[in-house]
Amino acid sequence: MAEGHVKPAALEQALKVLRERVDERTAAFLNACVRCGLCADTCHVYLADQEPASTPAAKVERVASLFRRYHTLLGRLAPGLVGAETLTEEALQALAAAAFGRCTLCGRCALNCSVGLDPAAIIRFARTVLVAAGMVPNGIQANIEAARASGNTMSISQEDVRETIAWLEEDLRQTIGDPEVSLPVDREGARVLYALNPRELKFFPLSISAAGMIFHAAGESWTLTSTDFDITNYGFFAGDIEAQREIADRLIRRAEELGVQELVVAECGHGYRTLRWEAPDWLGRPLPFAVRSFVEVMAEYLGAGRLRLDPSKNPDPVTLHDPCNLVRHGGVIEEQRYLLRHAVTTFVEMTPNREDNYCCGGGGGLLAASEHTAKRIESGKVKAEQIRATGAKVVASPCHNCIDQLMDLNRHYTLGVEVRTLGEIVADALILPVPPSS
Amino acid sequence: MTLGSLVLVAALLVALAGFLAQRFSRRFPRVPAPIAPARGSAAAGVLYAFTKAFFPTAKESASLHLASYLAGIGYHLGIFTALAGLLASLLPVRVPTAANAAGAVLTAIGLVCGLGLLAKRTLDARLRGISVPDDFVANLLVDAALATGIAAYLDHALVPLFQVTGAVLLLYAPLGKLRHMLFLVTSRRWSGAYFGRRGVRPTPQGPGNPRG
Ligand code: SF4
Ligand code: SF4
Repeated sequence: MAEGHVKPAALEQALKVLRERVDERTAAFLNACVRCGLCADTCHVYLADQEPASTPAAKVERVASLFRRYHTLLGRLAPGLVGAETLTEEALQALAAAAFGRCTLCGRCALNCSVGLDPAAIIRFARTVLVAAGMVPNGIQANIEAARASGNTMSISQEDVRETIAWLEEDLRQTIGDPEVSLPVDREGARVLYALNPRELKFFPLSISAAGMIFHAAGESWTLTSTDFDITNYGFFAGDIEAQREIADRLIRRAEELGVQELVVAECGHGYRTLRWEAPDWLGRPLPFAVRSFVEVMAEYLGAGRLRLDPSKNPDPVTLHDPCNLVRHGGVIEEQRYLLRHAVTTFVEMTPNREDNYCCGGGGGLLAASEHTAKRIESGKVKAEQIRATGAKVVASPCHNCIDQLMDLNRHYTLGVEVRTLGEIVADALILPVPPSS
Repeated sequence: MTLGSLVLVAALLVALAGFLAQRFSRRFPRVPAPIAPARGSAAAGVLYAFTKAFFPTAKESASLHLASYLAGIGYHLGIFTALAGLLASLLPVRVPTAANAAGAVLTAIGLVCGLGLLAKRTLDARLRGISVPDDFVANLLVDAALATGIAAYLDHALVPLFQVTGAVLLLYAPLGKLRHMLFLVTSRRWSGAYFGRRGVRPTPQGPGNPRG
């Protein structure tokens, strides 16, 4: 993040956004907050640190006080009366601390606000103001730039993608003893494009193998892509309107080039949310293919009898973390439960769960914002306690972002669990078709 | 028409104009209709937001703070009763005694709740930290209108006083935090449509859904 002095030009840019880019929905929310404070204990950040500045109300008020100054009559005439604040360097620093440092944009407060407004939408707008001021955390900004330059946040080259997939394919053939199984890449005319989180290629390649096994078992016509495969979108986390559109557009164009009927988003909460729900609005057009989460697709295969599962292959008790962007903002709520009920021996729900779940603390791009690491781990305390209370040995989560955070929480809070994707668990339970050669 | 009624009618018209101007303001860019195919129903989400979402069990802001929730309900009950009394004061008929008594009781409940919420805002450090002078001014203006409303319900001679405090309140309403009476409606509509369309609330969709 830009430390210290905010240049006058940056302040001016931020003010321009504040004056011109509040849309009618955000304005309604900003006008509606009554500062009742009843949202405080709906937020995992506040529950963990008990600091008044972490309540959704305080974060909303940071933005609302600026809004009142530039968009209301009394804010201009009697700013002291209505608590209207002029945009200054200090105000921007405070806004950055609130919007990036104390909020994961999880939206839990939105379901619980007494008035019915959406604090997360307001805080996302604050991030857009901060983009204009050049105050995006360095790690998030670096990911945006890498995605813009190379097509993925980890700058993985096309050659490296091809090599990794070829190695995984070879390994998968040996593991399941089926020379027919394949991890197709850049196959035009496939029905499904399965798009990845670059972290899978670098750190979690077995989740790609798991997907390959599942597509193979279901007899799906599918492909990976060696370019523009990245489902993550740090432009969205930053509130960078231009970057989020450009990043989503690359993958969408690639899917169009390949002529697929469906874009299946690997297990990634915000990747699903942005591509399924937001991207058509950013591009101003409907997409010529369906967008679904891999979780939905696996559930459909299972429901249609295209997958056969043996839950005894996963004997340890499993609990489920609901990624906010997939569940509360995405509507994929029951599919993961349906899968787990068929794929594991014992499935234990966390409390609360589904759309009422607590954020793991790693949302909103915070995993990439090293300056907020301590707060991220601290705010994950609520999730750690939820996990511990279930007594589960395995935590499943259909989101690589959440998985990274859950692994950090596992270490920090010594939970003694294994953290896994849904695909890995389903793949372990698969009863595979007998290979033709045997 | 009495002077009090004239003042009240003028204030009503100004407040109405103020709210309409904000409701139909073109100051803020419009949000286009979402393009992605819906998973649930926006209409069902909006309906939920204006019905079940008001139940104390629907939100933690209510279920974890039942006393504040009930005080809020009582406060607004009193406010709506007082507003009804204000409008009735413009009619050329006298309200029956029983209705006056009921009005006084409901408005008194509202006043007690309003003062309770004011005390909470003053005494609770966390709440005080996010409060601005407008929070206290708005509460006191409403409380003044409620107090004079009770008096007017009990003694018809005090109706002009009620009309004047009511007029002051109405003139302030479109300017400060009382604007939430308009923006609560628009906010619930936006949020209800958002969660409804995405199939989150009221009823999640999907295989094996125990609530579907
Ligand atoms: S519950 Fe809603 S209205 Fe009340 S302070 Fe929180 S965001 Fe504002
Ligand atoms: S969006 Fe989540 S992290 Fe942000 S204020 Fe609301 S509950 Fe807290």
